[in-house]
Amino acid sequence: MGIPPEREDVKQQVLYLSQITMKSHLLESPISKCPLYLACHHLKTERIQRDWERQGDAGSEGQKLTVCPIINGEDHLRLLNFQHNFITRIQNISNLQKLISLDLYDNQIEEISGLSTLRCLRVLLLGKNRIKKISNLENLKSLDVLDLHGNQITKIENINHLCELRVLNLARNFLSHVDNLNGLDSLTELNLRHNQITFVRDVDNLPCLQHLFLSFNNISSFDSVSCLADSSSLSDITFDGNPIAQESWYKHTVLQNMMQLRQLDMKRITEEERRMASVLAKKEEEKKRESHKQSLLKEKKRLTINNVARQWDLQQQRVANIATNEDRKDSDSAQDPCQIDGSTLSAFPEETGPLDSGLNNALQGLSVIDTYLVEVDGDTLSLYGSGALESLDRNWSVQTAGMITTVSFTFIEFDEIVHVLPKLKIKFPNSLHLKFKETNLVMLQQFNALAQLRRVDQLTIDPQGNPVVNFTLWKYYVLFRLSHFSMQKINGTEVTQNDMIMAERLFGILAHVASSELPQYRLISILGDARKKQFRYLLESKGKKPGIINEENNDSKRLVGENTNRATLNYTTRDFYNEKLEEIKEKKKFCKTYIEDLVKEATEINMKNEALQKLWPQMFIELVRDAVIEIRNKNSYMKLCLQQITDQK
Amino acid sequence: MLSPERLALPDYEYLAQRHVLTYMEDAVCQLLENREDISQYGIARFFTEYFNSVCQGTHILFREFSFVQATPHNRVSFLRAFWRCFRTVGKNGDLLTMKEYHCLLQLLCPDFPLELTQKAARIVLMDDAMDCLMSFSDFLFAFQIQFYYSEFLDSVAAIYEDLLSGKNPNTVIVPTSSSGQHRQRPALGEAGMLEGVEASLFYQCLENLCDRHKYSCPPPALVKEALSNVQRLTFYGFLMALSKHHGINQALGALPDKGDLMHDPAMDEELERLLLPFFRLAQVPGLVNSITASPEASCLPSRTPPRVGSPWRPLHHSRKVDGESDGSTEETDESET
Repeated sequence: MGIPPEREDVKQQVLYLSQITMKSHLLESPISKCPLYLACHHLKTERIQRDWERQGDAGSEGQKLTVCPIINGEDHLRLLNFQHNFITRIQNISNLQKLISLDLYDNQIEEISGLSTLRCLRVLLLGKNRIKKISNLENLKSLDVLDLHGNQITKIENINHLCELRVLNLARNFLSHVDNLNGLDSLTELNLRHNQITFVRDVDNLPCLQHLFLSFNNISSFDSVSCLADSSSLSDITFDGNPIAQESWYKHTVLQNMMQLRQLDMKRITEEERRMASVLAKKEEEKKRESHKQSLLKEKKRLTINNVARQWDLQQQRVANIATNEDRKDSDSAQDPCQIDGSTLSAFPEETGPLDSGLNNALQGLSVIDTYLVEVDGDTLSLYGSGALESLDRNWSVQTAGMITTVSFTFIEFDEIVHVLPKLKIKFPNSLHLKFKETNLVMLQQFNALAQLRRVDQLTIDPQGNPVVNFTLWKYYVLFRLSHFSMQKINGTEVTQNDMIMAERLFGILAHVASSELPQYRLISILGDARKKQFRYLLESKGKKPGIINEENNDSKRLVGENTNRATLNYTTRDFYNEKLEEIKEKKKFCKTYIEDLVKEATEINMKNEALQKLWPQMFIELVRDAVIEIRNKNSYMKLCLQQITDQK
Repeated sequence: MLSPERLALPDYEYLAQRHVLTYMEDAVCQLLENREDISQYGIARFFTEYFNSVCQGTHILFREFSFVQATPHNRVSFLRAFWRCFRTVGKNGDLLTMKEYHCLLQLLCPDFPLELTQKAARIVLMDDAMDCLMSFSDFLFAFQIQFYYSEFLDSVAAIYEDLLSGKNPNTVIVPTSSSGQHRQRPALGEAGMLEGVEASLFYQCLENLCDRHKYSCPPPALVKEALSNVQRLTFYGFLMALSKHHGINQALGALPDKGDLMHDPAMDEELERLLLPFFRLAQVPGLVNSITASPEASCLPSRTPPRVGSPWRPLHHSRKVDGESDGSTEETDESET
């Protein structure tokens, strides 16, 4: 159904317009603002209304067009207006090859088609339709204004050839992102309000773009619109109604990144604002850098500790294998450290987001991950890994060292810690709380080693890696052996008088036996050993200075002052003990041979003695017999004796 | 002492049998080690102290394991020292694991091997779960058997294995060699169903073992007694029987009878003296609920001065010690039972 031929005059008036290119703000229904157009529009409805009234048809709804009417003999037509109809398809206009403006606002068009002959078209208004896809605009190379607002478009495409396009309106569509804008070399205004846009790209490829409207979309970070910073032509932008506009850093981030802007969210940008923005942005940068550094440090620390833990595990399993001689364990345990290894390394990249890529790179650049870690945190000194023990040799400032009240050892063999206890005593005189975790405390004896410290108020032995905690009596033994410290807390629980009494009750006799029943020389030798060891360490650490000797004397005095009846309960690390036994072997061998010689001598003498005992009676008889025989003849005997005497002279 | 058989042995062997040489060597070795310290107060005094401590049984304290197990006397002294030092642990009623007992052993002998403790634990636990808790007296008696007779037990184990597998070790000296005739094995079905070995046969083998070897064995008569009322026994059953046998314990002479295990009045006295300062502090009301009867602490009778190195007397004399402080020991006994 078309316009009946008798309405020809109406048609003429409505359709006939001067050759004007439209220039206007593309808001909701832009063309309606143009006065000339408005006049035509009104004219159209008025005239049609009048004529319909004449015809006696009052209702306007039923009179709307459902198809584009065939227009004959109007090949010079410049402007065509089919607003507010029910047109579903663009057709029957291919002969209007001089058309400059086509207005199909508010119809039911589902597809852009039928425009391929309109090579002169400058203005195409397809707002408020049902268009799902931008297509079939290939021949419209002169297009100046394209209005597709209020449709169902999901993707920007097929417009890259529109190099004269100045105004593009895609408001109120279903766009989720913006890209594919290259080729629009004349575009000055882009309206993308009321979509679902999350990120914007390619805007920096638009050399003339001045106005960009992104209100009421889904932009939440400046990174997703980062290309805007590179667009030097952009001077006016709106972000209101986006999540990003709610952020505290929104304004100054936008201003800082888009120095070329004159207007934001329809408000002019003042100098003051710009200055504020730059100041705030700098502060943000600082904060980010700081936290970046912090997290870098923390990550490094975490990796180091993981590394130390891994090494510790390997070491323990190696020892366990040697001890138990089970080859099966090897294959099982070998997997575990690898798994730990794998999990730490794989967890790491997952944790980082796009912003932390720098962090990732920096850490992967670390060629050597430390095998130990020393950390000072206020009043706590934490040592991870046996390499950390060497750090006690460093020159600690008196202030730092004086503040340390807690020393924590993790992943270090207790036997190694024992060797550095004298150093600890000297360098950190205020350390009153010792913590041990994963240090292989297996014997009660090992606690004896702690007796050499000046004083310990608190002791924390973490069950992890310290089997000694499984013993029923360990706390009492500690209290007993270190009674001279008057410890306050063990593993967080207060030490009560009852505990002390129980400790004394359980082990008091041991102390008594160890002191009063040992022979004197053993007391001296045992105590002497302890003193000698301490002296040795002092010498090693400070070099031979006369001052040490006094210190050593003081120490020995203090040793005596300590509850001497348990001072003989010492701990020698396994290595030292074996060393000592080795040394003794030589002596033992010597002693053995010496005693053997003695025994030989003694037995020889004994044999000779016995032999003599046996032979003596006989010998005696013979002696007597000889003597009697000699004296038998008195005279001749007298002569013999005198002879002997003269001979002697 | 002056028996003729003493003169029957050649000199060196005689000395070796009495372990005189061991002690001489050790004494000289100690002397060498602590030359500087000892030279200060004289060698004669050193030797006096050394042999005194050997007599008293304190020479094994904190010594290396090779010395501790060198002579029977050393072993007995060690057992006794362990008992005296840790009797209080047993008295407290704590049940400990094998590892913890081993720890206590290591307090007295730093390189005591875990093996021996494990074997001792196996006797108590009848080769069952090794993590079980054991009471002090059970462990101590089993440990005594294991430690004192360790070589003997090794041979017995070998004999037992042989008997189990049907070989007759009567004809072999070293159980590993397989010379000699085999006795007719009992009916296979019977042997399969019954556990362990026949007691009398077992005893015969043991008797032969005791005759042949020079290391110490339990007196055969007592062993026979231990085996008297059983038909068959297992290895650990046998050991358990040994450890529980009072006669053998007394023959060893290291530990008191099971009933008296927790009693050592001399040491209890010492302990009370050590605890005195704690109780004085505890006089503040409400600070302590008394573990022992505290009124006694404040009215202790005047003590005799401490006996340093009280001579180690044979067991049947031990109860006569402390005649004068009978009153207090009775009281402490009451409070502790």
